[in-house]
Amino acid sequence: MSVAELKERHIAATATVNSLRERLKQRRQLLLDTDVAAYAKSQGRSAISFSTTDLICCRTLQGHTGKVYSLDWTPERNRIVSASQDGRLIVWNALTSQKTHAIKLQCPWVMTCAFAPNGQSVACGGLDSACSIFNLNSQVDRDGNIPVSRILTGHKGYVYSCQYVPDQETRLITSSGDQTCVLWDVTTGQRISVFGGEFPSGHTADVLSVSINSSNSNMFVSGSCDMTARLWDTRIASRAVGTYHGHQGDVNTVKFFPDGQRFGTGSDDSTCRLYDMRTGHQLQVYSQQHEGDDNDVPIVTSIAFSISGRLLFAGYSSGDCYVWDTLMAEVVLNLGTFQNSHEARISCLGLSSDGSALCTGSWDKNLKIWAFGGHRKVI
Amino acid sequence: MNRLLTVVEEAADYSFAVEYNGPPLPYEIPRAVPIDVNRIPLAAVAPPSAVLSDLPVVHPLPSPSTFPFKKRPPLPAPTLILPVPAASPTSVIENHDDMDGPDADVSGALGSSGFPDISTELSEVVESSGAVGFSDDLGYDATSSNEMVPNRLSTDSALSSELSFRSSASGGEDEAVATQAKRALLVTFRESGQSGDSMSPAIGLPLRTRSEELEMPIKRGACYRCLKGSRFTEKESCLACDAKYCSGCVLRVMGSMPEGRKCVSCIGFPILESNRERLGKSSRVLKRLLSSREVQLVMKAEKDCETNQLRPEDVCVNGKKLTLEEMALLKSCSCPPKLKPGLYWYDKVSGYWGKEGHKPDRIITPHLNVGGTLMPNASNGNTGILINGREITKIELQMLKWAGVHCAGSPHFWLNADGTYLEEGQKNIKGQIWGKPIMKLLCPVLSLPFPSKAANPSGEEVNKLFDRAGSECFDVKALQKLLLVGHHGSGTSTIFKQAKFLYRSVPFTEDERQDIKLMIQTSIYNYLLILLEGREWFEEESLNEQRENQQLDSSGDVISDKQKKATEFSISPQLKAFSDCLLKVVASGKLEDIFPNTPLVEELWNDSAIQATYMRLNELQLLPSIASYFLKRVVDISRFEYVPSDIDILYADGVTSSDALAYTEFHFPPLSCAGSSIDDDDQQETLFRYQLIRVHSKGLGENCKWLDMFDEVQIVVFCVAMTDYDEYHEDSNGVVMNKMMESRRLFECIASHPTFEQKDFLLILSKFDLLEQKIDMSPLTSCEWFDDYSPVVSRHPQSKTSRGVPIGATKAQQAFHYIAVKFKRLFFSMTGRKLYVVQANGLNSDSVNAALRYAREITKWEEDRLVGGTVDSMYSIEPSSFSH
Repeated sequence: MSVAELKERHIAATATVNSLRERLKQRRQLLLDTDVAAYAKSQGRSAISFSTTDLICCRTLQGHTGKVYSLDWTPERNRIVSASQDGRLIVWNALTSQKTHAIKLQCPWVMTCAFAPNGQSVACGGLDSACSIFNLNSQVDRDGNIPVSRILTGHKGYVYSCQYVPDQETRLITSSGDQTCVLWDVTTGQRISVFGGEFPSGHTADVLSVSINSSNSNMFVSGSCDMTARLWDTRIASRAVGTYHGHQGDVNTVKFFPDGQRFGTGSDDSTCRLYDMRTGHQLQVYSQQHEGDDNDVPIVTSIAFSISGRLLFAGYSSGDCYVWDTLMAEVVLNLGTFQNSHEARISCLGLSSDGSALCTGSWDKNLKIWAFGGHRKVI
Repeated sequence: MNRLLTVVEEAADYSFAVEYNGPPLPYEIPRAVPIDVNRIPLAAVAPPSAVLSDLPVVHPLPSPSTFPFKKRPPLPAPTLILPVPAASPTSVIENHDDMDGPDADVSGALGSSGFPDISTELSEVVESSGAVGFSDDLGYDATSSNEMVPNRLSTDSALSSELSFRSSASGGEDEAVATQAKRALLVTFRESGQSGDSMSPAIGLPLRTRSEELEMPIKRGACYRCLKGSRFTEKESCLACDAKYCSGCVLRVMGSMPEGRKCVSCIGFPILESNRERLGKSSRVLKRLLSSREVQLVMKAEKDCETNQLRPEDVCVNGKKLTLEEMALLKSCSCPPKLKPGLYWYDKVSGYWGKEGHKPDRIITPHLNVGGTLMPNASNGNTGILINGREITKIELQMLKWAGVHCAGSPHFWLNADGTYLEEGQKNIKGQIWGKPIMKLLCPVLSLPFPSKAANPSGEEVNKLFDRAGSECFDVKALQKLLLVGHHGSGTSTIFKQAKFLYRSVPFTEDERQDIKLMIQTSIYNYLLILLEGREWFEEESLNEQRENQQLDSSGDVISDKQKKATEFSISPQLKAFSDCLLKVVASGKLEDIFPNTPLVEELWNDSAIQATYMRLNELQLLPSIASYFLKRVVDISRFEYVPSDIDILYADGVTSSDALAYTEFHFPPLSCAGSSIDDDDQQETLFRYQLIRVHSKGLGENCKWLDMFDEVQIVVFCVAMTDYDEYHEDSNGVVMNKMMESRRLFECIASHPTFEQKDFLLILSKFDLLEQKIDMSPLTSCEWFDDYSPVVSRHPQSKTSRGVPIGATKAQQAFHYIAVKFKRLFFSMTGRKLYVVQANGLNSDSVNAALRYAREITKWEEDRLVGGTVDSMYSIEPSSFSH
């Protein structure tokens, strides 16, 4: 068979796949008779009401001299690691707002950071196409820097996101601009499996974010510039378990719903969406009407769910941080309107493991910690 | 009297420390205020004529002698008995507030020691009111407990007694007491004024306000936040506003200390000059509160933080404001002066340093290139004697006389750093000033400086110092960042590597070389694969030909089909297996599995089929033009011991094996051709550091997602290979696109990115040499963007001078100008700004050097433009220079 013939066949096959995909989409549309908000309304539910003092900024973590790009909480002990354009990782004590470690990085263009489940080490990745691991207990060198304890190399593009597997200290999943996600063994520095890339069901553009299911750590979901989110099983690297369409822009962030059966996404198209893992349906779109011209819609940079899942925190490039009622799809609070809110794009946010506090990082070089100020029962 | 006494005794019965947790009391907790309100003199009683207009201040130490019996005859006895029970609550509080309690005690003790003749009762009063302060705060902190009520009462009583004292003092009955009181008054006033300043926002309840202000004089030196503690409590003060905080409050007030010990509200403000000494020196309080590493971090931040630095423009040496470099030089020399904002003079020859208009203050390291020229009247001398052109003061003249210098007739001296002096215009050294041992004793007598041993480094050392200062101080300063970006194959990596070779003493570290070696070896296998693929292609082609031939002369005899099938492109089964293996390995990216496998590679390479394919190299579109350079030496390269030469590195494709971003820092060395006339500008230039950041276009992603990380770059250097116009690139979806159009798309994407809205752009058009070879064979119009290219063709295209240099613009140069203008117009239409264009050839170090220096020029113009000047340059390519 000649190359030309092969090419023709390939083109034909691609066309078939696309048409099938289109049909699938239409079929899904037909099956989707309602969304969460409409159903909740029909059940007579109403949105949570928040007064402006219910969520207050109780700490401002100052110390970065560049834009903050990423943050992560420890599972316990209330520490935060943040990564900034000044080329440093800073580990904070969220309660006292003290810095416990400042790590100068080899490559200052860092995009992501993560705390290990045991709280003993942190990982970061960026434009150096590698993921660097730092052990917080290791001896500092002469200049007072913490030496890199391991560098995970193998990606062929920037590392945009990394996360430790919750119940395994030695496993880490990264996502990269080379269209793949990789599961690493941190102790050996070897790749255990590569998701996507040469396999046909992988992402077709840069993978921007990963989120690991906390109830079943074999499953993780990834969001990509190809406007899809994909679900993966770490035991089966060869193909994605599911592909979730719907967004009209790069999927910047994905996050599992606390029950582990759903996940949320945030995108360049200024919407957040909630997908059901098992049915593959899109359950709800969270979007706000934006007045003014269409070119200037703020993009969703980062999302987080409250422990109950009733609230969805979403950070936007406009500096807003909406608190969505996931059930009613209404914005119940906007942290960006507060007097002491961030002055620039909110680039990352995260909820502490006990759900008591929200930390936001911004391009204004600060991190802020928000907590419930009022007396309120658990929602 | 009795009522008060009982209440206080009642108070003693209550437990102060333990919060009441029992069942609700059936009776009301006594909160009665037993003193008749009318009998308590209030603060408003203060006469309007008092100096303190709006601050109701009560001075702290009442005089004992007049106090009890003067104004308050109804309550003479209570004051006598009062202290005893009042002291007991204090002690209880002390026990439960271990940090502040003892200090309160101390202050009480001080009160009595300060005035030896005071009767104990009075000092006790002072103490009791101090205790009131605590109980008051406790009441505020630890929720309102009912036990506090009696203390509130004692506040009032103490207050009343003091007030009564004041009125008596103003009565002027006792002179000594009055002066004493006045002094106290003065002190208190300042203290309370200060505290009032810092406290005012914190004041909430009017009652508290009053009591705070009333206590302030007693509690001088208290923590500014919690108002506890005395001047003996260990405290930490803010570097910027000098507010002092006790250890319990430091962390709350100063937060994460991004700029060292400053209140959160003071962050960003310069520190007080008086605190400069403390910079970077941690205190006991801090050490107790934070771990040693945290203290280190905070101290480092404090020392290095830009806002905490002495601003160079605040220091003026010899009438000239310092620059940053000079400042760094002064700070880092072996005998640095104490730098505070102000005007100084500096004698470069002898090292004398002093305040302008004053005698020399110290002798610092000489020969530092700092400040302007020394003025004769720098130290305001009037003796007529000049040392190094400065008229010296009388006191210096005295020293000279003692040193045995002959000073008759107001001579002019040259004094060197080593102490030798000579008369102006003469050669012979007249003597050694510092030679006499007695001088070491005499100089301090005249309070003149004497050189320390370290003050005399040789010139060489100074130069070394200078270099060190240069490299160290600019760690703090932002570097000039150049972003180098371009489409794949546009020569960005070559330019980057060339820059490393040009400007760095160690261009590549061992690790980097290893990485590049791996990269070259990987790519050589890739080239081999392409060759093998091409071989299959050619084999198929020639087989088809054979078949056609067969059909043509179908004589029928099917002699040995095998033989027929073997064309010149066939290979042996063993090699076939190897090539399959290679294919697999390269696909999986695990090259380590096969290397080093030199024998097989050698066999493969020497195989006639591969050689035959290699002969038809130019038919293989996928193979980059550089491949043949490496393929020729494939056997060498595939060896394990292979060490890439500099040329190999330059030719290699890419900078790192992982397509990661690469960056390098360098200085521009002064131009050697400038020779003797290296101007100051160029000298300074060598101090600037530049960072060249090279980004792989593939790494940029679809939407240039993370270009916003480069908002600090000064200039974007965009590379386009001029040979791209007739080359095509197939992306993963099988869409074939002209590479020039790809470059243009990327250029548009980057130029219109909001991050680079105000940045300068430099376009480097590379691969000029290849363009020259190509332009004759394929016209520029083969790219759709350039379809309106119609060069003015010279009537004598072949005319050359005798030396073979073409007259006028060659075709390639015309093409270069055309492409440059195309991009300039595109850029102008998008941004309305000017695009700078330069041509460079990555393999030619001179052209890369020129291009990067041009980039530096542009950044300098930008700075000058900000200053307001206009600069003409020999560079600048005007679009008008090209017409078509």
